[in-house]
Amino acid sequence: MSDQLSAAAAALGLPEALVRRSAEARAAETGASTDDILAQWAGGEAAPVSAAPEPAPPEEAPPAEEPAEEAAPADEEPAAREVVIEEPAKPAEAPTPAPSGPYKPPVLVGTRDNPMAVLAGVFGLFLIVVMVGLVGPSMPTDLPGARSSHIDFSEAALQGRDVYAEAGCASCHTQMVRPVVADVGLGPVTLNDTNQVLGTRRFGPDLAQVGARMAGAQLEAMINGLGDHPAHNLDADDMSALVAYLSESTTDGDGS
Amino acid sequence: MEDRLAVTHFLVGAVFVVIGGGLQLLSLVSLRFGYLFPISYGRVEPAANLTLMIGFAVISLVGGIYYVLPRLTGTRLAGARLGALGLLGMSGLTALGLLAIFLGFGDGGQPLGLPWWLDVPMAAVLFAPALVTIQTIRGRTEERSFVTLWFVLGGVVWLPFLYVAYLVTHLPGASAVTVGFAETFFSAGFVTMFLVTVGSGLVYYTTVKERDVPLASRQLALVGFWSLGFAAAWWGAAQLLFGPGPGWVAGVAAALGLAWPIGALANAANISLTLEGSWAGLGEKPAVLSGVLGLYLTVGVAVVAALAGFRSVGSVASLTPFWEAVEYVSLAGVGTLLVSSATFGGLPRMVGRELETTHKARRFQRLTVGGSVGLLISMGAAGILAGYSWVAGSNSAAYVDAGDGWAAGLGTTYDTLIFVALLFAIVLFAGLGGYATIIFGTVARGRSMPQEVLVSKESPGE
Repeated sequence: MSDQLSAAAAALGLPEALVRRSAEARAAETGASTDDILAQWAGGEAAPVSAAPEPAPPEEAPPAEEPAEEAAPADEEPAAREVVIEEPAKPAEAPTPAPSGPYKPPVLVGTRDNPMAVLAGVFGLFLIVVMVGLVGPSMPTDLPGARSSHIDFSEAALQGRDVYAEAGCASCHTQMVRPVVADVGLGPVTLNDTNQVLGTRRFGPDLAQVGARMAGAQLEAMINGLGDHPAHNLDADDMSALVAYLSESTTDGDGS
Repeated sequence: MEDRLAVTHFLVGAVFVVIGGGLQLLSLVSLRFGYLFPISYGRVEPAANLTLMIGFAVISLVGGIYYVLPRLTGTRLAGARLGALGLLGMSGLTALGLLAIFLGFGDGGQPLGLPWWLDVPMAAVLFAPALVTIQTIRGRTEERSFVTLWFVLGGVVWLPFLYVAYLVTHLPGASAVTVGFAETFFSAGFVTMFLVTVGSGLVYYTTVKERDVPLASRQLALVGFWSLGFAAAWWGAAQLLFGPGPGWVAGVAAALGLAWPIGALANAANISLTLEGSWAGLGEKPAVLSGVLGLYLTVGVAVVAALAGFRSVGSVASLTPFWEAVEYVSLAGVGTLLVSSATFGGLPRMVGRELETTHKARRFQRLTVGGSVGLLISMGAAGILAGYSWVAGSNSAAYVDAGDGWAAGLGTTYDTLIFVALLFAIVLFAGLGGYATIIFGTVARGRSMPQEVLVSKESPGE
């Protein structure tokens, strides 16, 4: 085989590894042996086919003889649903090789399988991922009667929480104190029953306990653009609601 | 009809990539110079995400799916009109969403921030490509499946269900913790279960088609496919490390988050093995080169994200710009390179015009890769610096009850790194602009070449 491989590689001007892989794929495709394929590529006689050839995949269909202009218009419904691809015609200086000519690897072919079974697997996997990755982490695990992070916000504060979300505050601020060194001093650790807006980025300070360290007037000044904070042009109602929410954002760890 | 539909998807996607890239750049400007910028980061960032995720990535990749489906199944695209309606819906809702966010009607959620009255129709139109794909595959005449078929089928089906899961967890009464996990779950799932999955599948098709070599390993491709499908939730959950939620999440996120680099590496290795012996002259095949670069950039981003899933790194990187860097590069860098592999390969064949030009394509690739890598490093470093500053601030008690750790004390270093990231973002944006120029230039000015036409095969007896 190695002689044939070398001969085929030399004839085709390709590395042996690539020729071997291509020959194996061609052999699997046609039912012929790898040696026969290599012999054919090396310049020998045509490879015998031991089994009925599979229907050619679209990409391997021989170039249609009629010019592209005579093909059915692409936007016209066909008489039959089955279609093939008309390969681009070769330029005049490079005429299309005869079918028995140089090797053409069997590209874009796979194995016979049932895509609907794959679809079932896709659905099944999605359910597993959702259950384990989304539902699981959301399950409360704190024992009742223990410390709580739930805050009994006033009606105005609950409206302010919506303003907080809509203004995109959570894009820069978290309301989540974690049991890590980095968060020491920020207040009681946030537990699973929190009803604040967690956020996933902390470009600005954490606001879980902001009500304990800033008064309403300070908060309003900050929202209007104090220091490096961008100015948010909120109307009076939204401003007072947001200030109420932030002012009430404080807990001593038992929900009070 | 199907090719025209695919081309239209590519063109619409190219428009949105410029808008989205520009908005993403503005979001960084807003982050660095917030006190000067008229629109807050909280508004610009969801707008950028919406444009890049739906307007660019989904529309362009669906165009790629419509390009390969008839060629892999041997049948016409089933429900091409539904596909056209889907395109109209996705692009229209993206434009409406941008308007809603900037006018203050957004809900501020991550990553898209759409109000519910746009979220619901968006979820509905995302089912259109899935239905078209399933119907087309059901009517196939080619009984053997090339691996690309698995990737596009999985990605296009996962996407709408992912969106529905995201919506359900935002219903009134959902806990804050559920909402938090749903948002990270959706962001991460979009990248791994749709963007990288479909993008990698299209790279397989493009590479084999353009280089005319057989795929090295079907098994390796399937490892990549199922790993990406299973990885999604976990690199997202890692962002909430140590936050509220069961304690087991941290360990599971660290372990299963590794599925992303494993899947990405499987695909990159498979393409490398496929190209073994035919690397020469790859620069003359922009479609293949884009795919290779995209897959290896995916590996880099995935490794960085997986590392931050471990407690040791996560305790410093969580909540910082580190994760912003991962998401930024995933969408703009990885997304554009993988998409360009499909468009550079498919567009010339469908419109009968050569890609304009190989030189421009190389420049796009250089800018995109350079900008992405630079941004990932500088913004990732800024994140780690911020994380360490919080630890140091807490240890010294210098910023107890201030909430912003020690970042103020290290302000110039941190701000400088974000500024450097901004410069790389400009480079990346130039790459995205270059991509759009190539797409439109190919359609408008590309040199004529033989066109690949789908021809109906006559029924026996006709």
